[in-house]
Amino acid sequence: MHIMEGFLPGPWWQIWFLISAPFIIYGLYQLKILVNERREALPLLAVAGAFMFVLSSLKLPSVTGSCSHPTGTGLGAILFGPFITSVLALIVLIYQALFLAHGGLTTLGANVFSMGIAGPIVAWAIYRAGAKTGINTFVTVFLAAALADLFTYVMTSVQLALAFPAEAGGFTTSLVAFGTVFAFTQVPLAIIEGLVIALVFKYIIAVRPDLLVGLNVLTERTVERIRGPAA
Amino acid sequence: MENILDDYAHTNGLREVDTRVKLLLGAGCILIGVMSQTPYAPLFIGLSLGCATVLLARIPTGIYLRLLAIPASFAVTSCIVILLLTGGGELLREWSVFGLHLAVTTESTDLALLLLARTFGGMSALYFIALTTPAVELFAVMRQLHLPQEFIDLSMLIYRYIFILIGEAIAIRNAQVMRFGYTTFRNSLSAFSMLAAMLFLRSWEKGEDLLRAMDARCYDGKLNVMDQEGRIPRGALLSVAVYLCICIAFMVIPGG
Repeated sequence: MHIMEGFLPGPWWQIWFLISAPFIIYGLYQLKILVNERREALPLLAVAGAFMFVLSSLKLPSVTGSCSHPTGTGLGAILFGPFITSVLALIVLIYQALFLAHGGLTTLGANVFSMGIAGPIVAWAIYRAGAKTGINTFVTVFLAAALADLFTYVMTSVQLALAFPAEAGGFTTSLVAFGTVFAFTQVPLAIIEGLVIALVFKYIIAVRPDLLVGLNVLTERTVERIRGPAA
Repeated sequence: MENILDDYAHTNGLREVDTRVKLLLGAGCILIGVMSQTPYAPLFIGLSLGCATVLLARIPTGIYLRLLAIPASFAVTSCIVILLLTGGGELLREWSVFGLHLAVTTESTDLALLLLARTFGGMSALYFIALTTPAVELFAVMRQLHLPQEFIDLSMLIYRYIFILIGEAIAIRNAQVMRFGYTTFRNSLSAFSMLAAMLFLRSWEKGEDLLRAMDARCYDGKLNVMDQEGRIPRGALLSVAVYLCICIAFMVIPGG
């Protein structure tokens, strides 16, 4: 969910830039190391970024009929880890602002934080935790993508509530109000995105499991276990 | 599928104007709009840049108006929340719903109007950049700003692949629609997932092809591109400066 240009006032848009900066800088540092070590990383990351952009420009089948977009950052975080995903998300968000008029330039810091940093970190943490405990991979992927989406939307509400606290009740009342207003579109969207990403995972495992093994997302053993009954 | 604004940027009337001048104008307006405490400056920016985009850059009016409607839903819902929750000044109206105290006051009305104006001004400035400056030109400016090489390379490659993947996505979607892929909610869910997965796999294969193509041309982890260097034209710079000063003057007008 993008906050558009001009919506965040005074100190807040600068603050969110400052908060996002260390994550992006660390992501760029990781990217530099990765590209130096493995030349092949750059073109593959590029197509993944383009994929995120295209996915987010497609309309999801939605219950309410409202305009809703998948973020695709959950998938990115599962595949490449949260920091490199935040660099990809930054580029994708700049393009979304310039090509599709989603979001803006002064609100870029806040949007990168909610969609490119907070969401991916949640997705990555859930996926890693799920992979360790050996819960069904698809359930883990569903939870990772859906909760990342939900967390992104909660973060956006927090950002708006911090910038515009209510007169009576301050930050909390404002948070509840923004949360409720956006929940109508964002909660179904998160569930749908979770389902879609889990199915995407299923298709990738069916067609090219070697990609996921190569990125250390799945072990050979898990792939065999998932593909076992089908083969 | 939505309009990609970049398509218009390649054929707009201000295509030949120096990129840095256009960026300066857009970014300056965005900053002035977001800092302004009264709605006048952002409204002036919105109207004047809107006219500039339609008249000087010759973007079709209908398309421009439709673009302005995109952020409207988010802006209106958020402004209603702000209108009802923030306070200060005289009380105009109040309700109590589910224990929530909702009140419209003079200051909350001012704030909601200011935000609408800022969004309008900011979006016009953003559209001005988006519709007059092709992304290719932005890479040259990024290099002049000495952003990290990996970041710029990644941006260029992503930009290149966006268009290829959009083509693929449209083709897959058309094929699915013809086979009743989106008739029911259940169908559309599975069709959409299939589309996303195939798009991912195809883009990955494209990435592997790209690597092979780059390897064949002695890729060593760096993409070198020729840039045209040149001085910023004085006249254009001066007129942008004058325009920005007028915008700043609008900031000083006291709120009514």
